[in-house]
Amino acid sequence: MQNLRRITQGIFLLLFLFLFLQTEAKGKDELGYPIKIFLDFDPLIFITTILSAHTVQKAFYFSLAVIAATMLLGRVFCGWVCPLGTLNNIAGSFRKKHSDNISLNWHRTKYYILMFLLAASVFSLQLAGIVDPLSLLIRSLSVSIYPAFNYGTKAVFDAVYNSDIKGLVDISEAVYSVFKKGILSFQQPFYNQSAFIGILFLFILGMNLAEKRFWCRYLCPLGALLGLLSRFSILKRTVSEGCTSCGACASVCQGNASPDKKEDWKDTECFYCWNCDDVCPQNAVSFGFHPPMSPDNIGGITGGYGGLDLGRRRVLTSLVSGVVAVPLLRANPLSKAEVPNQKLIRPPGALEEREFLKRCVKCGECMKVCITNGLQPTFLEAGLEGIWSPLLIPKIGYCEYRCTLCGQVCPTGAIKKLDLKEKAKIKIGLAMIDKSRCLPYAHATPCIVCEEVCPTPKKAVWFDRVSVKDRNGKEKTIQQPRVDLELCIGCGICEAKCPVIDRPAIYVTSIGESRSKENQLLLMQQGKY
Amino acid sequence: MNRRDFIKLAAISGIGLSIPRSFDSFIAPAEAAEKIDLAVAHGVSPSKITRAAINAMGGMKKFVSKGDIVVVKPNIAWDRTPEQAGDTNPEVVGVVVQMCYEAGAKKVKVFDRPVNDPRRCYVQSGIADAAKAAGADVSYVDERKFKEMNIKGEALKSWPLYTEVFEADKVINIPIAKHHSLAKLTMSMKNWMGVMGGSRRTIHQRLDESLVDLSMAIKPALTVLDAVRILTANGPQGGSLSDVKKMDTVIVGVDQVAVDSFGATLFGMKGSDLDYVKIADKMGLGRMDIAKLKVKRMNI
Repeated sequence: MQNLRRITQGIFLLLFLFLFLQTEAKGKDELGYPIKIFLDFDPLIFITTILSAHTVQKAFYFSLAVIAATMLLGRVFCGWVCPLGTLNNIAGSFRKKHSDNISLNWHRTKYYILMFLLAASVFSLQLAGIVDPLSLLIRSLSVSIYPAFNYGTKAVFDAVYNSDIKGLVDISEAVYSVFKKGILSFQQPFYNQSAFIGILFLFILGMNLAEKRFWCRYLCPLGALLGLLSRFSILKRTVSEGCTSCGACASVCQGNASPDKKEDWKDTECFYCWNCDDVCPQNAVSFGFHPPMSPDNIGGITGGYGGLDLGRRRVLTSLVSGVVAVPLLRANPLSKAEVPNQKLIRPPGALEEREFLKRCVKCGECMKVCITNGLQPTFLEAGLEGIWSPLLIPKIGYCEYRCTLCGQVCPTGAIKKLDLKEKAKIKIGLAMIDKSRCLPYAHATPCIVCEEVCPTPKKAVWFDRVSVKDRNGKEKTIQQPRVDLELCIGCGICEAKCPVIDRPAIYVTSIGESRSKENQLLLMQQGKY
Repeated sequence: MNRRDFIKLAAISGIGLSIPRSFDSFIAPAEAAEKIDLAVAHGVSPSKITRAAINAMGGMKKFVSKGDIVVVKPNIAWDRTPEQAGDTNPEVVGVVVQMCYEAGAKKVKVFDRPVNDPRRCYVQSGIADAAKAAGADVSYVDERKFKEMNIKGEALKSWPLYTEVFEADKVINIPIAKHHSLAKLTMSMKNWMGVMGGSRRTIHQRLDESLVDLSMAIKPALTVLDAVRILTANGPQGGSLSDVKKMDTVIVGVDQVAVDSFGATLFGMKGSDLDYVKIADKMGLGRMDIAKLKVKRMNI
């Protein structure tokens, strides 16, 4: 059974990584198979999104399959499918064997985390994505691990390339081109906070050295949700009379399910890895279907019902914490409509900020797929509530005029899926010129880059031809750029390509963004909303 | 060439010229005798007029030898579709690649360093598909292949340029004719910005001189100016079909200054209206005065 499980885990992990690599622009308008498909099956995101936003993308009904499977078979998702679980499994195998088997028995913690998240989402605060295993994994890979992998790989091949050793270079370049086609990204991605997010992720993997599957056993809120659902499961473990209480099963248990304590086997903590069955020297352990509430289930066979004593006070504390978190996180100046953050340029199609935050699960898919690498994780620009949600930093990468990929991969509809016509009309901000730094204004030097790259069919950057004098009093005509605020969509290509590279002489801020009623400048826009 | 050969050739050319225009493209070798500076072909099929104009210049064999590695450099700068005339017409690119192979080229490379995302530019312009279909090696620019080159120009003393251009046996430039707010028009000479590495945006401070410096450093064997559709305003990327004018024309020449000078006439301008053309003429890079050039016009 162990091999069958490992093969299944491997297949799902490879599928996950394949979809992850597919979440990249190829030049066409549509993306093939984005990693979003995995999140569509995530019941935690499904439930918290319904609670916080009162609506959910249709694709999330796939997650009902996971719910149904769990209600029938228990936490098989954790043991057989979850890619983060599999990675934890692998990391755990680096742990020294025969080290003490003392478990922390903190398994209740994850239920408190789940309670906190559910309570918060009822009051429209969506924090589940921060700790949801799939969202966490996609984000960590997108923003940190994959960029680091690219960087390292490229550095190695570049070093060989620059060594100029004949023969070796040919071989390495051939391998490199295969890598480039298959697994490397088109261009080296760079993200703010990549080290921070990466360290958190590596820490989660590292915790397996303290205790295997530490995250899955004690912290994972999706595991907790599935644990609760698994209580209805009909796939249960039985231990026959032959058991000699040798304890062999305890050391191989992936979960924290106390398989050695026959009666007190914790079904909610079992990943159905089948290790206890495989290892039992007496062949006394077996898994089989038993109707819930059957006498079998109550008596000596399983710990089953009532095995999970969360404690009323602690549950209440978790729930109340979730509720209290809502005003605690929101009582900050960002909630004042008149104080929008100029730097908070959201992707095109992003919903109005309040609605956006109800849906965004910070999975980082939009950042992974962003064709210019401009979408970056926020830190506190959107408040603590919005940490790791996407914002555009035009200096790093502008919003490509005819690209709609971020809306295509967003699992929760926080970023709407747009067609090209809609996209062309959406303003994500407005460009303004810093005359004190702009070459034609401040230095009477010709430069037209912002106008040249402006993508709107009728250019939003236009020229005022003025006569200026240089230092010697010589007159010359120069074109000074101006921004047509009605035409400007705030894509930021002008800022990205401005030759004044350190602090661009033309830059975009969030004002004028189509999604906001308040963050407006033009009378026309305000009236039209 | 002795007298007898000359008479023979003249006779053949005479026959060639007497054949109806639509057969021009099939009698290329005969026309080689007639030395012309520019071939301007007009007609509805971009590939046919391109072929006819190149044949009128003496055929591709005159420019590409057997076993050559040829770089074909279109303008793939923008994420636009062919109808929007932001990038070189894909059919024109395809037929030029095809003709290189027909002339015996060993390998034809096609690339550009776009302004918008390269993946979108290559795909949306239709150039990647068209060039690949014709057998070209279509690649994205590899940053490692830019090398600082000492071009000793007026404005550009040295600049990182794409080594593949200089390593190739022959280079063919295939720009598209478009409006540009500083250069006024962008055609063949400005197309060399696509092989510049580094932060090329700063060259706008002395654009005309820089373009001449670049064009002096890169010696194309042939220039094919795509004017199937030209962009008359909001260039160089356009976006609105109302700024696109269908000219159904291709201009072929060896002299890039002459090509650009002729190209200007499509927009109702003269070569001398363009400062970079004027400077290039003065520097001896090519000839601007098209009245003194032998231009062969064709309707296909």
